[in-house]
Amino acid sequence: MSAQSRKAAGAIWLRALVVWVGLLALLGASLLAAYRLDAPWGPALNFGIAATQAGLVAVLFMRLDRADRLVRLAAACGLFWLAILFTLTLADTLSRLANT
Amino acid sequence: MSARGDLAERTAERHLREPWDELRLPATRAFRSQRAGATFGMWIFLASEVLFFGALFLLYTALRLEHSADFAVAARETNIVYGTLNTALLLTSGMTAAVAVQASEREDLRRLTLLCLAATVALGLAFMVVKGLEYREDIEKHLVPGAHFALKERATQLFFGFYWLSTSIHAIHLAIGIGLLTRLIWREWRSPGLLFKSPQLEVATLYWGFVDLVWIVLYPMLYLDGRSA
Amino acid sequence: MSGASSDASSLANPRELDLGLPVSYLGEGHSVASWLFTTDHKRIAILYALSITFFFFIGGAAATLVRLELFTPQGDVVGADHYNKLFSLHGIVMVWFFLIPSIPTTMGNFLLPLMIGARDLAFPKLNLISWYLNIAGGLLTLAAVLAGGIDTGWTFYVPYSTVFSNTFVTLAVLGVFVSGFSTIATGVNFIATVHYLRAPGMTWFRLPLFVWSMYTTSLIFVLATPVLALTLILVIAERTFGLPIFDPARGGDPILFQHLFWFYSHPAVYIMILPAMGVISEVITCYARRRIFGYSFMVYALVAIAVIGFFTWGHHMFTSGMSPFAALVFSFLSFIVAVPSAIKVFNWTATLYRGQIGFESPMLYGLGFLGLFTMGGLTGLFLASVPIDVHVQDTYFVVAHFHYIMVGASVSAYFAGLHFWWPKVTGRMYPESWARFAALLMFFGFNLTFFPQFIAGYLGMPRRYYAYPPEFQVWNVLSSSGAAVLAVAYLMPLGYLTWSLFFGARALNDPWNASGLEWRTTSPPPRQNFFGNPQVLAPPYDYHPEATPPGDEPRIAEEGALT
Repeated sequence: MSAQSRKAAGAIWLRALVVWVGLLALLGASLLAAYRLDAPWGPALNFGIAATQAGLVAVLFMRLDRADRLVRLAAACGLFWLAILFTLTLADTLSRLANT
Repeated sequence: MSARGDLAERTAERHLREPWDELRLPATRAFRSQRAGATFGMWIFLASEVLFFGALFLLYTALRLEHSADFAVAARETNIVYGTLNTALLLTSGMTAAVAVQASEREDLRRLTLLCLAATVALGLAFMVVKGLEYREDIEKHLVPGAHFALKERATQLFFGFYWLSTSIHAIHLAIGIGLLTRLIWREWRSPGLLFKSPQLEVATLYWGFVDLVWIVLYPMLYLDGRSA
Repeated sequence: MSGASSDASSLANPRELDLGLPVSYLGEGHSVASWLFTTDHKRIAILYALSITFFFFIGGAAATLVRLELFTPQGDVVGADHYNKLFSLHGIVMVWFFLIPSIPTTMGNFLLPLMIGARDLAFPKLNLISWYLNIAGGLLTLAAVLAGGIDTGWTFYVPYSTVFSNTFVTLAVLGVFVSGFSTIATGVNFIATVHYLRAPGMTWFRLPLFVWSMYTTSLIFVLATPVLALTLILVIAERTFGLPIFDPARGGDPILFQHLFWFYSHPAVYIMILPAMGVISEVITCYARRRIFGYSFMVYALVAIAVIGFFTWGHHMFTSGMSPFAALVFSFLSFIVAVPSAIKVFNWTATLYRGQIGFESPMLYGLGFLGLFTMGGLTGLFLASVPIDVHVQDTYFVVAHFHYIMVGASVSAYFAGLHFWWPKVTGRMYPESWARFAALLMFFGFNLTFFPQFIAGYLGMPRRYYAYPPEFQVWNVLSSSGAAVLAVAYLMPLGYLTWSLFFGARALNDPWNASGLEWRTTSPPPRQNFFGNPQVLAPPYDYHPEATPPGDEPRIAEEGALT
């Protein structure tokens, strides 16, 4: 392995390990929050942490940061349509719950 | 410089498929287009998968809104050690997959690519083993919905219905991912250099990343609810 | 038939075949394997055409028995159980194995690459796999029928389908689930193709509207189908493993099933109608010799229908026990989707204005589409308003409404496209007078079948019953006789189109003097689609230039618009 390729491999590892450490730290934080925080706050924080972790994986491991505009658009479409599904279904569920 | 040009051309010719080879472009540009097309196609499929798992998550959300107390009781029964261990395993495998695909951009990092792919597959298999242990324990504790269900609260069965469904659908996805990566390792073994700039590797690791994402969201749903009480 | 003159802008002409041009895609290999393992989008389109024709006649046979039973108020042909299985079979097969794949997988597969000047779809192997998935799904569903049938209706509503029905639900649901992968694969393929394989000069706003309709349909394929797939998995899981999600006896919520089901199945209606709109845009412009009126608005309308179509699913659930507040929101959103649909109808009508309209058979089907789609669309507005919907819920009014859209409009457009592109696909001309007769018969038969159902439904006749009170008999007799006419009209093309394959005159490259890129190659095209490099220099529909008075333009496309 030449010095140049060793350097390249080192850069790839460094970047990946930093993200990995961050992800595991967030995992630890969510574990802590689950045992320490009560009902509305614990789950809320945990889903927030999960969203952050998911964002980190999508952007830094699946390389959305480097991707074409088109690819980002595809990813955004998935989330937008998911939002339609959630919003309108929960509009029904929540207003049914509020009136029982 | 010319050596690098040759390498790019050889790589392009190795990977070019119909109809991309007939775009009347130089091979390297056609290959770049093919690779971008494959990545884009995979992302469209992942957007589709987002809706697939999104519908599952919607069910969880709606049912949890309707029965939040029972869901907290039920979530306390899952094994947090196994769950957390599996999350860590998958997060690590996501990292090795990302390193593998970045290393595949350089021809001199072939060993690193292979090594990281093997590590990814190994971590995926480890996840499956832990999941299997967990399933055995769940069955022993009578956490399968039905006549002999262990918990009294009515909606706890709903939670475990969701638990079994979501984990098994995720496991099927993971198994497909393991299969895809194993196939790539095997093909690289047979014809060295195949993974260099391979669109297939890029697509397979994207899929792996998505399976990772699904578990990240499932973890707080299945394991973290109701622990503070 | 116009356009007997040879067109100088064609790349090749059958009269020039001795120039040593390559064989057509039909001539490349005659073995069964050369068809079953082909990656040629044109051959895969033919495979799809064969399979959906097969499924169409299976679904049609079930419908025939249903109409036969409804001829009299008593149950004399079949009993309640068999009747339930018949209309379920009809619905499942027609929706998932005919209507959803119909235009996209046949004409879309064949024409999309041709229209944008590409050699093939972006992922040819995936395209073949998607055909096999479709067949596998269809066979699983047919296996359920042979095993003893399924009686849930095409909607598989829980808890009936999960807890009560003891027919072969799992097998049929599995079939639909598998076919879902096929449509997702097709959607991914079409979207990637339109993005990456357009010929030089084919900008987004030069795409023929058929390509736009395929693109927007693919969006729905990709974003709606997975939700159905998950819902069906849940039904299977609940039936097979007893996992409760929808079971109200164990705290589950059956309304959630309906939300997820209609999140797919309402956009699925747009899967059926958007491709039809694409076909009609091609046909009307060609036979009116007019540029499409308001091209960019036609594009925006297609995109708007595809997107807004995802916001309206709740209007299927007004009586389900859904919250009345949500019902109001869904009702409002459903009215909005009528706007882009209306834009399209107005623009087609405006395209006809001052056109030199020829009444060839594709145009007859096309004009039939316009009328039937308008009827279906307007009655849809009745159903979008909560009070009327509650009144006619689960009556024949609903049945008539969606048949006007899904059969009247979609199938008319399917036949319009089939006749329009038949010379290109097969290289043969069909007998025009037979085709015109079939088109008129289809329009007449369709209206005779389904218009009486509006009245019967409004008077209160419920759907899905094998027996009914005698006062509805007159409407049912009308409807059943219409169905007989319709059956003849559907069988006729099968006859004369098959005949034309062997005895029809050889088709010219551009027999209609149409303007699209697909006509700028031989009929039938070679494996590589084009000779040389297609390059696009002008917007589509370059027929009769605007602002010129009618009558002084020959009915021939401007030459050199597309080279």
